[in-house]
Amino acid sequence: MLRVVLRFTNLVVLTLLALSFFSFVLIYLFPGEPLANLSGIPNPSPQEIEQLQHLYHRDSVFIVQYWYYLIDLFSGNWGLSFSSGLSLSSEVARTLPASIELSTYALLLSFIVGLPLGFLAGLRHHKTTDYALLSVSVLGYSIPVFWLAMLLILGFSLQLGWFPLSGRISLLYEVPRISGFILLDILWSDIENKSDVFIDAVRHLILPTLSIAAFTTTIILRIMRRSFIETMNSDYVQAAVARGLTSRQVIWKHAIRNSLMPILPLLGMQFTTLLTNAMIVEVIFSWPGIGNWLIQAIYQRDYPAIRVGMLAVATLVVIFTMTIDLFLRLVDPKKSKVERVAI
Amino acid sequence: MSRSELYQEEFHPSPLQHTWLEFKENHIAVGGLCCFIFILTIVLFCNILAPFDPLLQKTDAILIPPAWEPNGSIVNVFGTDALGRDLLSRVMYGCQMTFGISIILVLVAMLVGVSVGAVAGMSRGVRSSVVNHTLDSMMAIPTLLIAIIIIAILGTGLVNSMWAITLALTPQFIHQTRDFVRQERKKEYVRAAKLDGAPPTQIFIRSILPNMGEVLVVQGTLALSIAILDISALGFLNLGAQAPTAELGAMLSEGIEVAYMAPWSIALPGAAIFLMMLSINLVGDGLRSALRNRLLH
Repeated sequence: MLRVVLRFTNLVVLTLLALSFFSFVLIYLFPGEPLANLSGIPNPSPQEIEQLQHLYHRDSVFIVQYWYYLIDLFSGNWGLSFSSGLSLSSEVARTLPASIELSTYALLLSFIVGLPLGFLAGLRHHKTTDYALLSVSVLGYSIPVFWLAMLLILGFSLQLGWFPLSGRISLLYEVPRISGFILLDILWSDIENKSDVFIDAVRHLILPTLSIAAFTTTIILRIMRRSFIETMNSDYVQAAVARGLTSRQVIWKHAIRNSLMPILPLLGMQFTTLLTNAMIVEVIFSWPGIGNWLIQAIYQRDYPAIRVGMLAVATLVVIFTMTIDLFLRLVDPKKSKVERVAI
Repeated sequence: MSRSELYQEEFHPSPLQHTWLEFKENHIAVGGLCCFIFILTIVLFCNILAPFDPLLQKTDAILIPPAWEPNGSIVNVFGTDALGRDLLSRVMYGCQMTFGISIILVLVAMLVGVSVGAVAGMSRGVRSSVVNHTLDSMMAIPTLLIAIIIIAILGTGLVNSMWAITLALTPQFIHQTRDFVRQERKKEYVRAAKLDGAPPTQIFIRSILPNMGEVLVVQGTLALSIAILDISALGFLNLGAQAPTAELGAMLSEGIEVAYMAPWSIALPGAAIFLMMLSINLVGDGLRSALRNRLLH
């Protein structure tokens, strides 16, 4: 057990080191002066250049420079953004929670809808319900996420006017930032007419969440269905039936719990897709998340922002997927023979 | 009286025929296949089929609604966009661009992926472990992020986004090949070839590769739908194909500006992407279950 944990920690640290090294190399790969890409000061004067040279130890060996870069990373001194001039750490701290919030709700929604429907389809295997659900799920994962988002906007915002078009909350309200998660912030804060603000934030959330969740829901549904069918055909379920348990007992006590197992590794694998979809949807709904921020950074050639944004998102993904993997290995000792540790 | 009864002949279909027989039973998948062939026809012959030049601007025919609307005209079946370009021709050329590029990307990714995967699968120890870890960390980074970095380095453009997507597609093929090779290497026909003194390269090319065809086709359909989605997503975000090019994603983002006046200008290109993805996914699903059922029977 301890060995597994140690091995995973080792792997996480190594991967993150590789990522940070890559982001350090990026300052040379991006167009423009490496010094400007590193510090975020677009056109430094000769005086400033000298200062920065000293600050980033530019006269020492490459590896030593990288070492100081690492120290800067850990102390939160990530440089400035070309376009806004603000420090990148504060920008990431502002945008990352918004993205995580959106993805979390989309994921929760897909679980709430996808799991029961998957069970249902598996239970009614090769019957009309099963076929209907499967067909709908093929529709769901074939629809391009940006098109779905635009159709939702056209239908529900422009035609019907039920939900707002973009943003996170109406400009009329001001919510003090505590955690960066808007719903939590509203609940914690002591502003007037709290319930109105809360409803407004939820109404802003509905359309983006729906467009991201469509894809994930169908994937969860399909995996759940397959896993349930396979569990029902397995030997221990046959044995339980042979012992004379009712089908209700077999399903609730044996089948469901075991068929839930493959969902977790799937979650790790689908996390990147979820994040990609979230990034695209953020742009469409002008959601102030990290995806929108990164795309804007590309448009404005804000290289320091791209470097730091990449590092932040990649770190998030690596830590998330590795945690899930580690959890799986600890929960299910059967898996300990897998040779590959999927990051 | 049929021949089979007279001679008591048994019908032994080849694996490929068997797959087709199973596939034929699944009517939805066959529908998907028809749709796929339809799209392929458009992609191959759009120079002949398209009524207009996709870049031809007619200033007297701006934002004409599609033919089925009351004030639409049959000249422009899908209507025209904000610059008076015929939408039907643009959608056809857009299909050619999006679909054609995606197929090329998938083939390149497959070629690279299978060769690297073969090396990783046939070798052991440090080399295979290095390949594995590099791959795994590459798979962890979202496609869009890889694309953003490559585009930041090289600049926006269709070719640069193609690089990015190829890079993002390759790891799955490597994984698939490596796992398959590992699994096959334990089987007896490979051992027989080894006992005959065949070197690893020959074992892979002569013995293992012929058995991989089906796995690759299934993985290829998956990759194709991902490639289409990514190409059009990058076009939509103005990071891939640029504005005048008839690419479905870029057309969608152009359509946003007039979405309220002309909803068809985003509905139709999006529907084309949707149809492509749907047919590919249906065929892929059908193939996968046909292969699974073939092994069961």
